[in-house]
Amino acid sequence: MSATAFPTVLPASIDAPADALAPQRRTMLAFLVWGFSALMIGAMIGPLQALNYGGVNAYPSLTPLLKTYYQGLTIHGVLNAYIFTFFVTCGLLVYLPARELGLMPNMALWRGCFAAMALGTLMLLVAMFDNSSSVLWTFYPPLKGSAWFYLGMTLVVAGSLMPLPILLDLRARWKARRPGEITPLVTYMSLTTMLMWALAGGGALIELVVQLNPWALGFTDTVDPIVARTLFWWTGHPIVYFWLMPAYVSWYGLLSKQIGGKLVSDPMARLSFALLLIFSLPVGSHHQFTDPGFSPIWRGILTALTLSVALPSLITAFTIGLSLEYAGRLRGGRGFIGWFTALPWRDPSVAAQVLAMLTFIFGGAGGIVNGSWELNNIVHNTTWVPGHFHITVGTASALTFMGVAFWMLPHLTGQRLLSRRLALASAWLWFTGMSVFALGMHWAGLHGVPRRAWVSMLPRSVYDRVYGDAHLALILVAVGGCILWLATIAFYTVFLGSLATRRLDRRPAIPFAQAFGGRESYALDGGAPVGVVAHPSVSKLARALEHLGLITAFTALATAAAYVPIFWPFLQNATAAHGWKVW
Amino acid sequence: MSESAASSEFEDAFHKAAERHERVWVFVAVLMLTLLLAGTMFLVVYAYGVVVRTAGFRRDPAAIEAPEGSIAKTGPNAYTVTIVARLWRWSPSPLRIPKGATVTFRVTSADVLHGFAIQGTTVNVTAVPGITGSVSYTFNRSGTFNIVCNEYCGLEHQGMLGRIVVEGDPA
Ligand code: HEM
Ligand SMILES: [Cu+2]
Ligand SMILES: [Cu+2]
Repeated sequence: MSATAFPTVLPASIDAPADALAPQRRTMLAFLVWGFSALMIGAMIGPLQALNYGGVNAYPSLTPLLKTYYQGLTIHGVLNAYIFTFFVTCGLLVYLPARELGLMPNMALWRGCFAAMALGTLMLLVAMFDNSSSVLWTFYPPLKGSAWFYLGMTLVVAGSLMPLPILLDLRARWKARRPGEITPLVTYMSLTTMLMWALAGGGALIELVVQLNPWALGFTDTVDPIVARTLFWWTGHPIVYFWLMPAYVSWYGLLSKQIGGKLVSDPMARLSFALLLIFSLPVGSHHQFTDPGFSPIWRGILTALTLSVALPSLITAFTIGLSLEYAGRLRGGRGFIGWFTALPWRDPSVAAQVLAMLTFIFGGAGGIVNGSWELNNIVHNTTWVPGHFHITVGTASALTFMGVAFWMLPHLTGQRLLSRRLALASAWLWFTGMSVFALGMHWAGLHGVPRRAWVSMLPRSVYDRVYGDAHLALILVAVGGCILWLATIAFYTVFLGSLATRRLDRRPAIPFAQAFGGRESYALDGGAPVGVVAHPSVSKLARALEHLGLITAFTALATAAAYVPIFWPFLQNATAAHGWKVW
Repeated sequence: MSESAASSEFEDAFHKAAERHERVWVFVAVLMLTLLLAGTMFLVVYAYGVVVRTAGFRRDPAAIEAPEGSIAKTGPNAYTVTIVARLWRWSPSPLRIPKGATVTFRVTSADVLHGFAIQGTTVNVTAVPGITGSVSYTFNRSGTFNIVCNEYCGLEHQGMLGRIVVEGDPA
């Protein structure tokens, strides 16, 4: 099998109105390249942090570039968690729906989204690399960075909301053409994600615009730390679903086609997205289980809601699992796990995404621990927590995005992937490295090793006295980090190399999946648009879930109801804290 | 032709089975989460001491009320101590208490956020500038416990360590 044969090659005629689609492809490519460039910088720094926990302090030798561990950690967190994910997502969630519906998105808005976030990124880079803003990606005041940092962050967050109007407009135009039909699946999932994010982004935007920007610019002297922290987590919890839902879009909407099967249940995909929208919003303050200032009763309610958010992910595990099984059996896989080994593992895009899912099973289980209040006390702010989110956003999302890049780069550029084997190797190395790393981080966390700590800077005797019990675990962290370095190098060789390879004869199409009972579902560009359509016998659920406006309004109300009792005591008892620059 | 008929027959059968299993799965998932919730709630009520409660607010984070850093005896083997976090130390530290003592920690910060965690226990409170949080914990084991700052607080964050010495019968 040659590298050009995956994932699905459609006749070259798909390119018929080639010029009409070229701007969309170019813009999508810009989002992809900018996002992955951010990850490249972030991922080069990550292993240094892993070595730190293993007791190796590489920072003194990096002084001209990185002055401290905390400066590097700020760059790692901001570039990986915001810039990488936002760019990939704001590209994909416009490009895929537009192509699914066969409509042109509002290009001015989409390019504006790119420009706002790119400018924001540059401002953040200035503020982080001059070490004026080593406040970490959570930027909790009263730690005070430079105004460039907060203004850049404001632009990035505001920009990331711009796909919402684009999607609303696309869907409205499609509905006008095909009255009474159900929104095609990928568009439905993308729009639900952006609606969720629009409600979620409010917290960070208010924090930045009302509190931090005026403070950093010198218009106000003080800031209320607990109000800022609570506003941050209003966004900071649902952001994990903003990281995850685009990966689900690929798993539900594309992967079943890539593995030669079908999506087993279209309505379940819709249901899990609607539930994610509802449940992810009101529960942000579960990140504040250990904070004083609000009532224990609310903490109990938050625990209940937090556990409910596991439901849509459990549904996803089931539906996607069945879709994999269906494809595996079609491919001749037999027996209890034969279907799994029969999947097209030679396709790096498939391998990366299936490995990402495997990791996510463990990530989900760990998340349930974090959400349970009592257990949270043991793991809160230990290395358990970064251990957890490196197998969720750092693998379930990041590795899925890498897998998407493996088919999307050839699709966008019309050039072949540099090397299928190297791409496969990078996926397996990432999976292995993250597994070892995360095992070590979780385990060290149970020994009380704190996250965000330059422990390799401590005198050896102190390091051994306080963290000696976790020694083996911390070695795993360092080893995992080194494997991840190899993974990163392999991946970027493929990613950057593929921008300069020879041209393909035909451009691979977007692998839109077909649902059971649904119609053939790839977009026929320029012609009649056809989406993934629900199975006729179960579409009642899908039809009910079309009322996204109502669902969003309900969620907004529930979120308001959850936050009023939390903010109330804080607003009654304001604190005026001065800024500190202590790094 | 016969091959595609067979495959659509397979698809139909698979689809029917899938829908049945789907309902069972959703039911099991909901049941599981409910049980888990009941379990956590029970634990919380059972070990209520570690739940962070609010012990006061103040407008100026630096205005810590006196006396600072002393231990007050509040019962037969019960104590209350106000722990103040500052860049980059805990006060008071080291803290000496007898074995079996129930200690109520009133934790606050005079400058930026810090995190008050006692290694090997469930005590874990955010030290927020301007708010005092409180938790209780009974030390049934003698020995030295490390206080570790677990909320990023600047350059020397990693060195913000303290100690609690639980003194007991040597047996
Ligand atoms: C090359 C692979 C990576 C390695 C070796 C790595 C390593 C680490 C380590 C050791 C930490 C903990 C630092 C600390 O708490 O002191 C950390 C934090 C973090 N990482 Fe990664 N990471 C990698 C990739 C990623 C990816 C792909 C993402 C997200 C897409 C990510 C997002 C984060 C975030 C958000 C933090 C938290 C920063 C903070 O606590 O302020 N990392 N990483
Ligand atoms: Cu959360
Ligand atoms: Cu501290």
